[in-house]
Amino acid sequence: MRRPLAVALAVLALLTACTSHKQHPDQDDVPAPGTLRVLASSELGDMTPVLEQVRQDTGITVRPTYIGTLDAVDLLAEGRADGRYDALWLSSNDYLRLRPEAAKKVVSETPVMSSPVAIGVRPAAMARLHWKPDQVTWAQIGQAVQDGRLTYGMTDPARSNSGFAALISVASALSGAQSALTDADVAKATPRLKQFFKGQKLTSGSSGWLATAYARRGDVDALLNYESVLKGITGLTVIRPRDGVVTADYPLASLAATDAATREDVRRLAGALRKPAAQRLITERTHRRPVVAGVALAPGLDTSRRRELPFPGSRSVADGLLDAYENELRRPSRTVYVLDTSSSMEGDRLARLKKALTDLTGDFRDREEVTLMPFGSDVKNVTRHVVSPSDPQAGLAGIRRDTAALRADGNTAIYTSLEKAYDHLGAGGDTFTSIVLMTDGENTSGARADEFDAFYGRLPRDRQDIPVFPILFGDSSRGELTHIADLTGGRLFDARQGSLDGAFEEIRGYQ
Amino acid sequence: MRRIAGIVLAVLLIGGVVAAVVAGRHGEDKGTATKTVRGVIGSEKADFFADPDVVNALAAKGYTVTAETSGSWAMEGLDLKGYDFAFPSSQAPADALSGKYHVRQPLPRPFYSPLVVVAHRSAAEVLTANGLATLDAPHRGTLKMAAYLDAARHDRTWQQLKGASRYGELTGTLFIVTTDPDTSNSGALYLAAASYVAAGGRVASSDADVDRTAPLMRKLVSVQGAQQSSSDAPFRGFLSGAGNPLVLVYESQVAALLQQHQDAADLTVFYPDTTADSDHTVVPLTRTGRDLGELLSTDPTLRRLAVRHGFRPQGDSTEFTAATTSGTDYLNQKLTGVRQAPVPTSAVLHEMARRARG
Repeated sequence: MRRPLAVALAVLALLTACTSHKQHPDQDDVPAPGTLRVLASSELGDMTPVLEQVRQDTGITVRPTYIGTLDAVDLLAEGRADGRYDALWLSSNDYLRLRPEAAKKVVSETPVMSSPVAIGVRPAAMARLHWKPDQVTWAQIGQAVQDGRLTYGMTDPARSNSGFAALISVASALSGAQSALTDADVAKATPRLKQFFKGQKLTSGSSGWLATAYARRGDVDALLNYESVLKGITGLTVIRPRDGVVTADYPLASLAATDAATREDVRRLAGALRKPAAQRLITERTHRRPVVAGVALAPGLDTSRRRELPFPGSRSVADGLLDAYENELRRPSRTVYVLDTSSSMEGDRLARLKKALTDLTGDFRDREEVTLMPFGSDVKNVTRHVVSPSDPQAGLAGIRRDTAALRADGNTAIYTSLEKAYDHLGAGGDTFTSIVLMTDGENTSGARADEFDAFYGRLPRDRQDIPVFPILFGDSSRGELTHIADLTGGRLFDARQGSLDGAFEEIRGYQ
Repeated sequence: MRRIAGIVLAVLLIGGVVAAVVAGRHGEDKGTATKTVRGVIGSEKADFFADPDVVNALAAKGYTVTAETSGSWAMEGLDLKGYDFAFPSSQAPADALSGKYHVRQPLPRPFYSPLVVVAHRSAAEVLTANGLATLDAPHRGTLKMAAYLDAARHDRTWQQLKGASRYGELTGTLFIVTTDPDTSNSGALYLAAASYVAAGGRVASSDADVDRTAPLMRKLVSVQGAQQSSSDAPFRGFLSGAGNPLVLVYESQVAALLQQHQDAADLTVFYPDTTADSDHTVVPLTRTGRDLGELLSTDPTLRRLAVRHGFRPQGDSTEFTAATTSGTDYLNQKLTGVRQAPVPTSAVLHEMARRARG
């Protein structure tokens, strides 16, 4: 089974490098008195003002390292969090508890606040659909998608808590399951879920980029995410569907591998976060819901209750649903890898590229189309591979074969090669289409930056929606690559701070 | 099989010794030399031992208590050498521990708390209207366990109950959310009470007894999906307006809340007509540990402070009754009409939990 996770540590290093709340990876290993090294869900970046207040009150500083839930669970289960982190703070520990090797690393859990999965809809779409926010059900949302009247974006469930929770919500609601999801429920709902995920026009490895891409696109009607995230995006009508939600409860957890003094600090931190004043600050600043009696919800948060859709009680159901999403339910991805194989890549760099690409073949999904476009002074060749569900190994073997054959020579024609990638992709079709650009140097031949800008400006609208995800590597220019990412609506990944493997792996969440 | 569960628990336990609540900082003495007492306690008593007034009261009697928390069921797998006492949350693990460490009976049982089910007004109304519960005061009622188990056996949904359609959140299978019975005390006690009722008032004492109720116990657990490991989490979810309509908690959690917030507005407490008590039992491992256990049972200040944290001191009920008079709308002070289900031995209960988790 090709589970879409893995390479947790590399991703972790990368995440730290890429998130806006930057931590130098090396610092994570250094314990400091009064400072808790916390492995945390990335959306907790919005807790900064609350944590600052808590620091003033208790003297405890929280140093977060942001990570996806599934990667965190892998890290714990494999013992790689031992001694490196003092506490764990994910949006939910439901998945963690399905993995006994990870669960036994956790000592005590204190839920701090809550936020349900919701859908945020543009005003124009609300008007078109004649929806009353407090009456909408997942079934209606599914129908609107099926009728072609609603499109949306959500994060990748294998990499982001919000995407995972959204997937569980939709699967529970559309399967008609009356209690916790079973394998049979998932199988029964598969046709409806396929329809539903046809409406997904945006995917992302993080909530932050999803919001940016949504604002840029303008033609996506809605976002699925936590209520707290959606309330932070102006102009969205936030709907908690009537037929049920999955709620994150953000447990702050102490870890078995830490000493008693550290666990006491975690307990004090949890206690401070549950004080009424902190709970008020949380709901006002982050739009989450308090978990102590007597603290009112922030204005704008609706008090009516919703059925809680249970999280699956077995790993086979949870992993089976993820697997179905990646390989069967979601729209497939279509990617061109524009790979610098100029002469400067000779030696170690080329070896690292080959290793990273070869490792990645363990992660490609069924139905995925992968095109390799190595370049030097010009594009050297174009090979297209499809991971066919009937024989996935054939396509993957082809990718490995072409990777092994890469040779380093020639200059660096970045822009000419990108133009050819856009030409190759043509119109998007029913796929998530993107370009990955890996280069270790600056543009030295072929089209210039301004010529590429003009080329891009002339592309039809639907092709302008194809983002380029550049990877900073070797001696490439941050300025040049940032410009390409900004122009095309992509995002820059830094393989100089993390690793090339990690960068390729993290980009998977955006494909 | 049981052995496997035991090993899992033992492992949990090694990780389970926890958060040292170092008490005693505030409690410097009046010239008396204080004795440091080391113990392992169930997590629901962590707030009690961390309460500065408790620390002071203990210091006044010459004790500094250092408590680490652990799941009650995990204590059996722990090496308690060097500890003065263990303080699990129910009698079955306490009995197992006292056997293991050859502790003299009787064991001090300073306080207890029955299991209750909390619901919002909407769910309370529907349960009552459909004969699953009675309402005895504005915010207090009795849950009819036999009727509830019958509903569970037939996969009854809220939609099938009359009056539920008025409330959007009341859909899906009718069930009570509990903690994981394999690792957590309240979840295990829930199975003890439910299996006792399902077996017609017989306490399970053999594998054959466990077999007979296993399918129903399995159902009670599997409908819930993922379960939490401590009753704090589902109760917090309930307070934040999220989660399942019916949640199993300790009465002490509600009683502690009521003493802080007189206005717990939309909260109804159902006492199951057959329930299990969480008997907070001290297992003394040293002479000092026994002295502490006796002190917690008899010292008026400590008994009063236990009530502040929602517990019912053993024996005389006047302290609890006096402190909760303003909460009588919510609390069944005398536990009228509540029958106490006997709890199977630790080994049988473990097996029951394991089978229910599947």
